[in-house]
Amino acid sequence: MRAAANRNPRRAALSTALIGAALGSGTMISLATGGRSDVGLVTLWELATGAADALPGATMLDIRMPRTAVAALLGVNLALSGLILQAITRNPLASPAILGINQGAALGLVAALAFPAASGLTLDAMAVAGALGAGTITFAIAGGFGGRIDPMRLVLGGVAVGAFAYAAVRFAYTLEDDLARSVVRWTVGDIGDMRWSNARALAVWSGIGGLLAAFLSHRLNMMALGEASSRGLGADPRWTLLAGAVVAAALAGVSVAVAGPIAFVGLVVPHVARALFGGDHRILVPAAAALGAALMLLADGASKMLAAPAEVPVGLVAAMIGAPYFLYLAIFSDALE
Amino acid sequence: MSADVAPTAHRAGAPTDRRWTVPALAGLTTAVGLASIWSLSAGAVTIPWSVIANTLFGLDGPRQDYIVLNSRLPRTVLALVCGGALALSGAIIQALLRNALASPKVIGINAGAALAVCLAVIAGLSPGWLPAIAVAGGMTAAGLVWFGSLRRRASPARLALIGISVGFLCDAGVDFLLVSSPPYLFSAPLVWMTGSLWARGWEDVATAAPILVPLTALALALSYRLDLIRLGDAHARGLGMDVRLERPLLLLLATVIASVSVAVVGALGFVGLMAPHLARQMVGGDHRALMPAAMLTGMALVVLADAAGRALAPPIEVSAGILTALFGAPFFVFILLTERRGRP
Repeated sequence: MRAAANRNPRRAALSTALIGAALGSGTMISLATGGRSDVGLVTLWELATGAADALPGATMLDIRMPRTAVAALLGVNLALSGLILQAITRNPLASPAILGINQGAALGLVAALAFPAASGLTLDAMAVAGALGAGTITFAIAGGFGGRIDPMRLVLGGVAVGAFAYAAVRFAYTLEDDLARSVVRWTVGDIGDMRWSNARALAVWSGIGGLLAAFLSHRLNMMALGEASSRGLGADPRWTLLAGAVVAAALAGVSVAVAGPIAFVGLVVPHVARALFGGDHRILVPAAAALGAALMLLADGASKMLAAPAEVPVGLVAAMIGAPYFLYLAIFSDALE
Repeated sequence: MSADVAPTAHRAGAPTDRRWTVPALAGLTTAVGLASIWSLSAGAVTIPWSVIANTLFGLDGPRQDYIVLNSRLPRTVLALVCGGALALSGAIIQALLRNALASPKVIGINAGAALAVCLAVIAGLSPGWLPAIAVAGGMTAAGLVWFGSLRRRASPARLALIGISVGFLCDAGVDFLLVSSPPYLFSAPLVWMTGSLWARGWEDVATAAPILVPLTALALALSYRLDLIRLGDAHARGLGMDVRLERPLLLLLATVIASVSVAVVGALGFVGLMAPHLARQMVGGDHRALMPAAMLTGMALVVLADAAGRALAPPIEVSAGILTALFGAPFFVFILLTERRGRP
């Protein structure tokens, strides 16, 4: 990972303005689009002045706004998760979806739904447990417990772990019910029916995760220097690895529990953030969070517009943005040999 | 790709003794036969073997004409044809790319063919065109992977990664088409996409078999060319083989075989990966023995996956593709961990 980057204040200001603009326009697009054409940004104004009609007002308050909030929070969670994973594995292709963590969370969730009595845990906890389990297996395949992570094995092993978990999810759903179509919507990441309760649950986790990520950011910087340097500077890399993995898995797990596995946000956003702000994680953590939120807000707007009046799940929009970038990295990234 | 790599030694532990070839092939044939009989008997209605025999051979006694002849027999035949085809395709691809991780799915053929077929369904093309469309899609995806790996001498793992990412790209396209088009178009393809023989009938056999059976025979007949290529390009050229011409032709054959299979049974992952490896463990690396063994293994795998999917929780059917993925993904990890840098 390139630590050397421009600390040019003008460029930093420009990047910050860019992110701000993306966040603002993303929020407006996400709020303005939707099934009812009579609900738009005007409704917001009417709500503020108390002049809104009952139905459009309720649509804005109870459908549009929680969905927009969920999209932004998912972006924060997944971007931070990807940023942490790329830092602790020092692998530019690492992200919750590529390492199988998203699919592991989905499997944990399905297990909780299929055996509610046996698990005894909440859905969120099972999703996080699944995410951690899948991440641990991928890490073991890559040789992480032997001391040295093979970058290519990490990625290919993660894809295989993800494929296995995903097949197990489909297996469970086939036996559970014949709802093939709704399964497809869920497995591609759909936030069409989000309410404030979902947003509140996510916000708590995003807040905790963001704080922990900020707390870890200095250690992540030292990881980027290499494990030996990290140890020399007094930060045990194993501790950083463990803490980072737990935070990343938790952030990805709760996101999957709410919206289903959304791929590639966690892959793309850290790269964009590094390109804009350089390699310092103390800046990257807030920058990636804001960028992730902006990307997901724009994706949410696109998901409502692409096939109007039908909707494309937001996870699918993210995949259509992210998959070409993943191909680009697969071909050109030099960090894998 | 890896042009003049010295031939790698025989894999340790794989029996290369010729004496084992015939017993292994005989054993595999028996396994395929038993699996087929189980496939005819398993399902929502379990049919005893005696009834199957009565039905198939027109004997006196209780018969189950409709279920056996119209539902389970075409499925079993299709599973045999496509399983053998996918396995041969995988064996050819692994030999040509010298890549133990390669398979039709891993280099993107499955997903490319599936995307093309989805587009064709939306465009309202008649089912007779689907094999041709699938081949076009599979070739496009494989071509993309090939171009991607040209940038440098891609390592086997890098090639697999590029193929996987092309697969992701196509999968996103397939998901988009499935979600954004009216339900009536895709209620059946949805099941099919996951790699399933559900509701496949004689008309699907009629679509696939006339293409796959001759091409399968051709692939078997060309086995020894793969042995020449395995010696390394310089040796193969010395033995009178035009490697630059034959390598793309063989790759094209593998792509066509896999794509046509995908057009009728969907993206049955990992069969093309597992079957050649299992066969190599049984008969060694000589392709004249390996290719038939891989074909029989692939047949047995797909028939077993289809039958097990019906027998697990009748009347619900678990897609064969789910079962092959449940076994295939750990298998992929196993190869990733045991093959040194992924060279067979």
